[in-house]
Amino acid sequence: MNEETKKQINERYERQLDKGERFWPDTIFKDLIMSLGIFVLLILLATFVGIPAEAKADPSDTSYIPRPEWYFLFLFKFLALYGQLPLIGKIEWLATVLVPAVALGVLTLIPFIEKSPHRHYSKRVLPISIMSIMVVGIVLLTLMSEVPTVSEDGSKLIGTLQTIAGIFIPAAAYILFFVFKSNTRLLIWTTSLAALSMIILSGTVLALAPEKHGEEVEVATTLVDQIVAGQDLYSVHCTECHGDDGSVAIIAGVEGLEGEKITPINSRDVLYTITDPSMYEVIAYGRPNAGMPPFGKTYGGELSRSEIDYITIFMRYSWDDRFDAPEIPELFPPLAEGEAPSYDVHIQPIVKRYCISCHRPDKDNNNYLMTTYEEILTTGDNVANNIIAGDENSYLLQTIQEHVIMNPEKPDEEMIGVMPPSKALKPNVIEVFIRWIMNGMPKTAAEAGVLFQSPTPAP
Amino acid sequence: MWKNIYLWLDERLGFDSLYANLLDRPEPKTTWWNTLGSASMFLFILQGLTGIFLTVYYTPSPDHAYDSIQYIMEGVAFGWLIRGIHHWGATLMVILVFIHMLRVFFTASFKFPRELTWLIGIGLFLATLGMGFTGYLLPWNQKAYWATTVGTQIAGTVPFLGEFTLKVLRGGPELSALTLQRFFAAHIWIIPAVLAALMGLHLYLIIKHGESHSPTKED
Repeated sequence: MNEETKKQINERYERQLDKGERFWPDTIFKDLIMSLGIFVLLILLATFVGIPAEAKADPSDTSYIPRPEWYFLFLFKFLALYGQLPLIGKIEWLATVLVPAVALGVLTLIPFIEKSPHRHYSKRVLPISIMSIMVVGIVLLTLMSEVPTVSEDGSKLIGTLQTIAGIFIPAAAYILFFVFKSNTRLLIWTTSLAALSMIILSGTVLALAPEKHGEEVEVATTLVDQIVAGQDLYSVHCTECHGDDGSVAIIAGVEGLEGEKITPINSRDVLYTITDPSMYEVIAYGRPNAGMPPFGKTYGGELSRSEIDYITIFMRYSWDDRFDAPEIPELFPPLAEGEAPSYDVHIQPIVKRYCISCHRPDKDNNNYLMTTYEEILTTGDNVANNIIAGDENSYLLQTIQEHVIMNPEKPDEEMIGVMPPSKALKPNVIEVFIRWIMNGMPKTAAEAGVLFQSPTPAP
Repeated sequence: MWKNIYLWLDERLGFDSLYANLLDRPEPKTTWWNTLGSASMFLFILQGLTGIFLTVYYTPSPDHAYDSIQYIMEGVAFGWLIRGIHHWGATLMVILVFIHMLRVFFTASFKFPRELTWLIGIGLFLATLGMGFTGYLLPWNQKAYWATTVGTQIAGTVPFLGEFTLKVLRGGPELSALTLQRFFAAHIWIIPAVLAALMGLHLYLIIKHGESHSPTKED
């Protein structure tokens, strides 16, 4: 750039200053309004959107799908699509290092690459075209980042569309840019058509994208939530051997561990001498010599770090007399006179706490599973007699009221023992089951509401 | 009396020349697009302030990081607000800095005599991303842990230097307490110091050259 041009640029700037404003108060005023607006926006976001709760980091949980920060998503999508290309797709560092490094280098050196002194848009069509396609690409790749490249039925169509939108069209546009370099009209056409087709293709991809049904991980944030979550997990994983109050000293009714002597885990011996980190290890690793299997994912169990923490918190606040438990909400809302319970509101939390521990896959339970509404009604070796709408002799009602069911073909053989085997349910829980079955097992609260019978006044 | 205090201070600090040099300057007509830079700076200051509050309760160790943040959210008065602002401020800052950069590009404001301002701006952009990247790990939750795992893995693919870079970033072959510790140090000392220094230069250059005007037909 020669001295003459520099002088012209400075003169033009002086002319603009003459027509311009004062930094104080004109410019600063706008800046302050903007900053204030941002501050208010942040307070609103913090108050009404908040921060999604996440479980504690668990290095052993390899099933967790790692995702980078949202502003790097486009780069990861680019890498994933690039990996699909034939031949060069295998050379990883081309995409992870070379392409980003070149892009960043060009971005940094823009003032020295674009040397023309012109600033008006009409004289900068080529650079603006290049940047526009880049920005459109980055935004679209970010939007598509959640869409897999292979659909569930194994079709690669969706991945191909993404690769065309995210790599081929921009690449083709860049090649055309340098062919049409000096023709403004063609440049604008190329940019518009490329951007439009990228947007349309990405829109198609997003429309075709399989619906997300990612596993909802429950994260308890408040102490009460953590205790309740811990109790539910305890009910599922621990009750079988330790009993629902942790008082079992001799295991009963568990295949392979029958008669095993254990220390009651609600005792001071356990709670006062085992610290939280040791408790974590005991639950995660188990006590192989005493027959306790590992529960932590690290050692092949099912529980994540956070989940084991919840169980420990539940144990502390329920049995350790050094901890004052906060008020825990009822398991289910008490039934009014004549009210029919529903699966969603009453049965599900009860089943989760008292039954699922054994009545889930891979347990000794006569194939009776209770993890969903459908399973409760349609599984089990004795499904025909187990739950019969309006029948007080349904096996389920019999067994929870401590009546053993004998085998109809061999009258002295016990077919189903009392349930739960270790400790009888509380009367109000049994009442819920009876009313539920007598009212025809309504699923939702709405279905149950229809069955509400207002108590008949005594004559 | 106030007048005397003012005069005493003015003799020593020179309010008048500060006013003349910093505030009472001519500017070309500016638009709302010109506010993005100062908005980014505002966010940096806000992130600094909320960040300082957070360090009062935050513990950078794998055993306590998660619980200390849980405590900030549930136990500390207005902790949820401070962390909420810090969390969303980080997201917004990345967006604002990026749009600010695009604005400068599209109006060609990086051209003579403002080339150096652009170079420093790139440094600021990278430092902002670095703040985001290091801050993301600190909550030590699943999202943070695995995002950092894949993020640092990328560094490991660099030919020849990959393994070394990966070890420097993680403080070992795996993500560990050391990783958390050094990300914390980078997040609260190293990168903010770099960012603040670059911001000072950036501001000096803006005051020296003035804000660029929106390009006109004759430019």
